Amino acid sequence: MRGVSSLEEARELLREFPVVDGHNDLPWALRQQVRYDLDARDIACRQNAHLHTDIPRLREGGVGAQYWSVYVRSDLPDAVPATLEQIDCVRQLIARHPADLRPALTAADMEAARAEGRIASLMGAEGGHSIANSLATLRGLYALGVRYLTLTHNHNVAWADSATDEPGVGGLSAFGREVVREMNREGMLVDLSHVAATTMRDALDTTAAPVIFSHSSARAVCDHPRNIPDDVLERLPANGGVAMVTFVPKFVLQAAVDWTARADENMHAHGFHHLDTTPEAMKVHRAFEEGNPRPPATVSTVADHLDHMREVAGIDHLGIGGDYDGTAFTPDGLNDVSGYPNLIAELLDRGWSRADLAKLTWRNAVRVLGAAEDVARGLRAARGPSNATIESLDG
Amino acid sequence: MADLQDELHADPEAGALGDLPESLPELPATGPRTSVLDPDTAWLERARAVLAAHPVADGYCGLPWALRHLPWFDLELGESAVGTDIPRLREGHVGAQFWSLRLPEGLHGDRAVGATLEQLDLVRTVVRTHPEGLRLARTAGETADARNCGRIAVLLGPASAAALGDSLGILRSLHMLGVRVLTLSGASWASEAGLTRFGEEVLREMNRLGVIPDLSGACDETVRRAVAASKAPVLCTRSAARALRPHPANLPDDLLAELGAAKGLCMVPLTAEQTGPTVRDVADHLDHVREVAGPESVGLSGTYDSGTAHPQELPDASRYPHLIAELLRRGWPEPDLALLTWANAQRVLRGADFTAKAAQLRRRPSTARIAELDG
Repeated sequence: MRGVSSLEEARELLREFPVVDGHNDLPWALRQQVRYDLDARDIACRQNAHLHTDIPRLREGGVGAQYWSVYVRSDLPDAVPATLEQIDCVRQLIARHPADLRPALTAADMEAARAEGRIASLMGAEGGHSIANSLATLRGLYALGVRYLTLTHNHNVAWADSATDEPGVGGLSAFGREVVREMNREGMLVDLSHVAATTMRDALDTTAAPVIFSHSSARAVCDHPRNIPDDVLERLPANGGVAMVTFVPKFVLQAAVDWTARADENMHAHGFHHLDTTPEAMKVHRAFEEGNPRPPATVSTVADHLDHMREVAGIDHLGIGGDYDGTAFTPDGLNDVSGYPNLIAELLDRGWSRADLAKLTWRNAVRVLGAAEDVARGLRAARGPSNATIESLDG
Repeated sequence: MADLQDELHADPEAGALGDLPESLPELPATGPRTSVLDPDTAWLERARAVLAAHPVADGYCGLPWALRHLPWFDLELGESAVGTDIPRLREGHVGAQFWSLRLPEGLHGDRAVGATLEQLDLVRTVVRTHPEGLRLARTAGETADARNCGRIAVLLGPASAAALGDSLGILRSLHMLGVRVLTLSGASWASEAGLTRFGEEVLREMNRLGVIPDLSGACDETVRRAVAASKAPVLCTRSAARALRPHPANLPDDLLAELGAAKGLCMVPLTAEQTGPTVRDVADHLDHVREVAGPESVGLSGTYDSGTAHPQELPDASRYPHLIAELLRRGWPEPDLALLTWANAQRVLRGADFTAKAAQLRRRPSTARIAELDG
């Protein structure tokens, strides 16, 4: 059992250097649960029964900046309109809670929010499908405030391979590389969570700015395609980027990876898709769970990933991306957005210094956005916006 | 600093305007004359002086779509591939323009929203690369500012109703990107049958945001309902008088009267199709709209670069002085010309701004969905 003192120290540390979290799916949860009826899920009050995220728990968790994901499904048409609705949702959330949330577009905005004691609110789009093969649409998302684009979600896009799909173009196509260059020019961070390792390597070969992994952990610790292989982590010092560790049990704990594979098999055996949440499918799933208890991930599971990532990438290249409200299950001790102090306390107990932890929670993520801005300033002076099309580059 | 310098040199003709009205009105009436100025030139000079003080706020310019597939262009030095460029806008005394974001028929969903984002991106790029000539404006104040800095204000819209993808969230995102005018036609909620309940909610949300409804091309039933239901003044960005020329986008007299009563603005297009083949036909429409809707409800809409033919004397955006000269000849007083070219559009923009400020105190962003209201 951890001493009270390290938890106290963690809280105190987070008051000075709060958490920048790379990925939170609250907008998607609000879309799915109440179709953006923000009165029905007022995040000024505790929403423990419905959500991982609300303002009281963000405050308890010591969160100082949040990339709100404007994710939309990659297997449905009309991703661009849906993305605009998600962006509108984030803007409404910010407008409704001005004392707690501050709109942020730059590293300077993040620092200003910290100085004011408000939570810097940034946006990230999750998946290349949100730009519909159009660089103009990419710039439109930037103009609307989106500051990172994850190149794929669970499915390939025409120009980039996903980690959880069959190999397509084998990483990034020529147009995919142009997307990365245009993101560099705009100052939008290239997010390599969800993409195939081939795509990670191609993106690192192409980008002029530091990249991020908004919510991914270490593949050497837990062998799941959503995690980052060591050879890619090793390239982060040269690139300057940041890998933000995620908490999702089925990515971080080998026993949970295996358990999920067996649960999915069971669903298939009963004729259901493994993501089916209809009552009949859930009944089958619950029966399986009764006979096969779900292996719990813990704070220490996540700390193991961070220890490894620190060894391979270095302390200047780590961050945190919880994926709250984007995952059904969370580790013990990191049950919702109020849990970050438990992780910091665990790392203190493992001997991480206060300076190290300030980098993990705040400094690295802020530095990366600032670096992307600097690169963009140079590139914008050097060249105009690209209007290359996927047809012209990928034929 | 550059802005201040420009202001020093802005509108050199404006100061000369004061001594014009006394000396010129009787010119054309003098019969055989010995003056070196022929009467046409005199009217034109006077028109230029009026326009220097009251530039044109042009209700419709099709440039974004026209530039879409033009690989190389430069509006700064003159661009022969289009009818609108900065030298000609200057020559025509255009002080503000609404740049159309309209889409070809038949686009919907992803493609309509995406195509609108692409047009917005193109406009941002064009404005950014012509900083001496153009400046984006979102409000009446920014429009006046642009003019005071010697720039032509570019206002975004009208956009197509299809660009909304039937979602008020998308409307708000487009507004955030600067869209100021939206045409209420070509969507299931603004069809031949008029505005549906969702259509009325779209209108209320537009009022709350300060997006001006454009009713050109909407069916009569939609026009009537929108004029009555909108808290802010409405625009018809390209509508002439149906009494003079039967065209579906032209307005019948009863609607013109209703528009006038609601202090909306009918911006008369300079197109052969809607107004007629000569500058006199355009002037006839302006006379008629001023008569029926009132001088506070008539405006101008060049409709250049939208693929239609123009009256022979008005082939491009440089020719507004010729139109104003014709109106002077017909005895339009200067205050009415000032309303026609600039002040009416400014009033509508300001009305939209004020309405939005008031509505935002009263209403939250609407979460209404089409399936709930029209389902």
